[in-house]
Amino acid sequence: VIEFILNGQPVSIETDPARPLLRVLRDDLDLTGTKQGCDMEGECGACTILLDGQAVRSCLLPIGKVAGRSVITIEGLGKREHPHPVQRAFLTAGAVQCGYCTPGMLLAAKALLDQDPHPTRAGIITALDGNLCRCTGYVKIIEAVELAASWAQKQGRAEATAPGAEARTAEAREVGISVSSSSALSYSALGPATVGRANIVGGDLDRQGGWERVSGEARYAEDIKLPGLHYAAVVRSPHFHARLLALDTRRALSLPGVVMVLTAEHVPGENSLAGYSRDEHLLAAIGETVRMIGDPLALVIGLSTEAAAAGARAVEPTFELLPHDTDIGRALEPEALQIHAGGNLLAADAVCSGDVEAALGQSDVMVEGHYRTSFQAHMALEREAALGYTDEAGRITVVCGNHEPHWDRAHLAVILGLPEERVRVITPPTGGSFGGKQDLWPLAATALATYHLGRPVRLAYTRREVMEATPKRHPYDCRVTIGATAGGHLTGLRFEARINTGAYDSAGRYIPNYAVTASVGPYRWLGVDAKASAIYSNGPKAGQFRGFGAPQPVFAMECLLDELAQRLNLDPLELRLRNALAEGEVTGLGYRAVETLGYREVLEAIRPDYRAMLARAAEFNASEQVGRIRRGVGLAGMWYRFGKYGRPLSQAMAELGLDGTITIYSSSADYGQGIETVFSQLAAENLGLPRSALRLVNADTARTLDGDVTGASRSTYWVGGAVADASRRLRATILATTAEMLDRPPEQLVLLPEAVTLVDDPRACVSLAAVAAELERAGQSRCLTGEQDLRAQLPGRYPASYLPMFVTGVQVAEVELDLATGEVQVLEIAAAHDVGRAINPRDAEGQLEGGILMGLGAVLMEEFLPGLTTGFGNYYIPTARSMPRMRIHLVEVPSHFGPLGAKGLGEAVTVPTAPALVNAISRAAGVRIRSLPATAERILAALAPAARGAAGANAAGPREDE
Amino acid sequence: VTTGIGYLYPASIAEAVALLAAWDGRARIIAGGTDLMPAMQLGRCAPECLVDVTRIPGLDLVEVGDRFVLVGAAVTFARLRSDPFLRARVPALVEAAASVGAAPLQSVATWAGNIAQAMPAADGAVVAVALGAEACVASAAGARWAAVESLYCGPKTSALDPTRQMISHLRFPLPGPEWGCAWQRAGRRRALILPTLNCASTVQLSADGSRILSATLALGPVAQLPFRVRAAEAALLGQEPAEVSFDRAALIAQTECRPRSSPFRASREYRQALIPVMVHDCLAQATRRAQEEFSAQ
Repeated sequence: VIEFILNGQPVSIETDPARPLLRVLRDDLDLTGTKQGCDMEGECGACTILLDGQAVRSCLLPIGKVAGRSVITIEGLGKREHPHPVQRAFLTAGAVQCGYCTPGMLLAAKALLDQDPHPTRAGIITALDGNLCRCTGYVKIIEAVELAASWAQKQGRAEATAPGAEARTAEAREVGISVSSSSALSYSALGPATVGRANIVGGDLDRQGGWERVSGEARYAEDIKLPGLHYAAVVRSPHFHARLLALDTRRALSLPGVVMVLTAEHVPGENSLAGYSRDEHLLAAIGETVRMIGDPLALVIGLSTEAAAAGARAVEPTFELLPHDTDIGRALEPEALQIHAGGNLLAADAVCSGDVEAALGQSDVMVEGHYRTSFQAHMALEREAALGYTDEAGRITVVCGNHEPHWDRAHLAVILGLPEERVRVITPPTGGSFGGKQDLWPLAATALATYHLGRPVRLAYTRREVMEATPKRHPYDCRVTIGATAGGHLTGLRFEARINTGAYDSAGRYIPNYAVTASVGPYRWLGVDAKASAIYSNGPKAGQFRGFGAPQPVFAMECLLDELAQRLNLDPLELRLRNALAEGEVTGLGYRAVETLGYREVLEAIRPDYRAMLARAAEFNASEQVGRIRRGVGLAGMWYRFGKYGRPLSQAMAELGLDGTITIYSSSADYGQGIETVFSQLAAENLGLPRSALRLVNADTARTLDGDVTGASRSTYWVGGAVADASRRLRATILATTAEMLDRPPEQLVLLPEAVTLVDDPRACVSLAAVAAELERAGQSRCLTGEQDLRAQLPGRYPASYLPMFVTGVQVAEVELDLATGEVQVLEIAAAHDVGRAINPRDAEGQLEGGILMGLGAVLMEEFLPGLTTGFGNYYIPTARSMPRMRIHLVEVPSHFGPLGAKGLGEAVTVPTAPALVNAISRAAGVRIRSLPATAERILAALAPAARGAAGANAAGPREDE
Repeated sequence: VTTGIGYLYPASIAEAVALLAAWDGRARIIAGGTDLMPAMQLGRCAPECLVDVTRIPGLDLVEVGDRFVLVGAAVTFARLRSDPFLRARVPALVEAAASVGAAPLQSVATWAGNIAQAMPAADGAVVAVALGAEACVASAAGARWAAVESLYCGPKTSALDPTRQMISHLRFPLPGPEWGCAWQRAGRRRALILPTLNCASTVQLSADGSRILSATLALGPVAQLPFRVRAAEAALLGQEPAEVSFDRAALIAQTECRPRSSPFRASREYRQALIPVMVHDCLAQATRRAQEEFSAQ
């Protein structure tokens, strides 16, 4: 019996003393606020708890070590009525996105502040460096710790001057933020938020579900326990390419705790991933080919995670090994290894406008480049996890992070051979996605298990499975030629991308279109010939990843534009300004954008930061301290097509309940980006009510209308527009009905959270419940559907429902390069992005900061190696210490049709980071870097041929010769 | 019903090794457990009993004696980082301790455990070798001091048997005047990562500061164990503490070291290119610190 103090209470546990504390907390005590992101190897920090006040990893702590000591978990930190200052600070600073790293971060922060109430920024970074976060870029987390420290100091002073005074101030409502300045936030106490138009959007920034995420109360899919819960484990292929000859499940079925083993023959409908991935099986059938490591063969259901895993290990497949290739270099040659029966070309697309040969012929300068990128992994902190059960209406129900619950429902119905009404998808709190959780497979496998088991079942991937089996970012091989006149006007663009789509479609069929669309950018071309092909390999199936299809071609294009600027002896900012598309101009795609572009505006917005960086870098490089270090400054712009592939019509509902409560029904998955907060703000703003007066039901196929895919940064614009419209309609209906009831014109009425009153007589009051009863009596609907409907504006002349709307942005980076080691230190990144209208400026900044650090990771450290990479221990994502200074400019060029002028943001933010950084590195190095990741090793190899001592002279300036 | 293994807290070193003997190879020492726990998860070892040494009185101390600095087996990297004497006089050890994983690992992982794991690039082991550290190896048969370098018998294989032996203490010579040490580390990111290359050195200058009386230099991962580059050390003897001496030693180190390629961290070629740069920087910094020690006299 092990006795210890847990969150202030003595507990005694009878268990194996070698079990990790994490397992005891989560499995035995149902304290699920402590998270598990890695395979309990101490690599991620999500399981951080306090042991006698010190932050430690609970996955590495045998429960035997805890005997007689004191443990604090997130559940012991603060209560909703009395939050701990670090909890309040995380919410106030916007430090919470998906929330999966948050409990561990909070405890690490508490340990630091308890030991050192006045930490330096460096001290904070050191304390948090072992806790990985993939969403925030760490900026607001570190600011939150500083905020909590400053409160403690203020409180200390207040207590010193006014002993006994309660130090509870207006801090809980410290929500002010400067929209356009920088990440050096100027929080100011605004006092209690007054309710009224135009201060909820842009003003009331509280994160929807924020408290649940700082308290450990939020139940992610892996945290939900149901009576009779079973556990699923997956049997996967260990081979890159093989034929499955036999699958012996007898030994597995004989093991204790193994309940059933499901194979391809158990799939009642189509053994596929339906419309999500058109060539992928759910489970490989005997005789079928498996095309990647991690390809699924069978599903084992057990009474515990361990029993299911043991069962999966006991399933015995027999393979005929086939030759394999994870690269696409020779994949289209006639004698190439055939990975799919129809050949190795999954899809191709092209865009031609003008006469590219003639255009290039007008060039005074032409440059060409060969740019390459590698597989990249999303590394959301939450592993793929799904819960399946049969709901009260008999529906096969899957609770799982996703991007498109209604589409997934349709796909699952095909796989199960059921009508759609018999299937339900619910989106739980989700610990990050970045596109990775668009994969239908975990949902489909869980639905299949639920179908056969008839009891609740949970499927949770190990981190190793996440690495093997979930989609990755497509590697590109781009060959580009561009030209310009001596005056710096672009002429022609010839672009060809060969894209490694891995073993299966997983939406890779769309990527050639994204590639060519991104390649032309927000620039004026005389002629364009751009083509792209998605090609199979035995690499991991490549799929959606933040910015889908755009970061790679933009990396190539914006780096080549930098080479062109250097050849022209022209400032890279000036080159882009001279060629920036204005609104209404025909794009390189041959048609006009229907939304504002904002590219000139973002370029102008970045100019002061860019100039300051150039001056600093030039001064440094000319100084005597320079030694073997060189500074470089790089700039890159981009456009990003938002709202791609959805209908030009989205719907949402607003309902007045019989009890007078207001509920918004919307559908767009929130995996941390904060779309539910945006919906809540848009609804409240358009109802003219505080956010506390309404409830939000989101992304549950049994309760909400189809919002289409959550992707391509389309949700604020499309679903948000529908939420705003539904809210306006409900307000109008409530006021019109009350107007009849009171016999007064609607404009003399005031809508309050529970009632409607007269503007001149607050005593005349009709409760919302009475309004609802009146609607009911009159046979009028209390639930109104709102629409974002652009069918008239988008009359179907655009290819394949790709919508002609773009957001633009530009980023600049300042780096230091060690010429002797190739090591790069990123000093500062400044970003200016057009958001149309910042509904939630703090969250918009958070998107940018997180996207920028993700881009930095892609440049300096991240690379997925098929068959080798197994988790956080060998796939390196940025830590707090990787974070450069960031300066964020939210530029607001209102859209024509979006809610309050809003556009999309979350994906675009990561797109220009890589080229901006690589341009900075190339400028510092004096040689061009053309592949990602640009590791120190690759940079040093590029430097080697050049005279290292002479390299980088005058590196920072944009005007030196190559 | 209690299942699983035993978990014991001995009150003394003698009791700890007696327990190991009594379990006859089925028990195993645990200190911080940060390496042992994943190994047990993966089934790489399956002890029937864990003997936890972290509550043995006195083993959590850093003691500065007349000739040696004595460090108990339960001293964590966090403890090393915060020790005032070490911060002032042995910064290489403090910096190496700060390089291990990240703060939440340093708060439980121990220096002795880091050495017992026998990884060739363990930050704690590389700095220990450069400091000329010895380990007190205790077993039921008694205790003996052995050079840390002697505790390796193959790649990732310790000469220690954690089912019968334990490191009770580490010690290294007390730094004298005109002595300095330094630590260098390269990695694809700055925290929570195994090193691409790490390097520790010490420099003892003559009383007038004009000559190098002795120097040590250790690197990882460039061999099967934390590698002490004796040829480079020898070349520094009697030399002026100057760039030309560091450069010569750096080139010798480059020749002597045999790094391998790792798909995740770096190629052999990159490590080879990095060695002279890091060795030079490390020796130069150790010398500067020795000179500061000199001028502080």
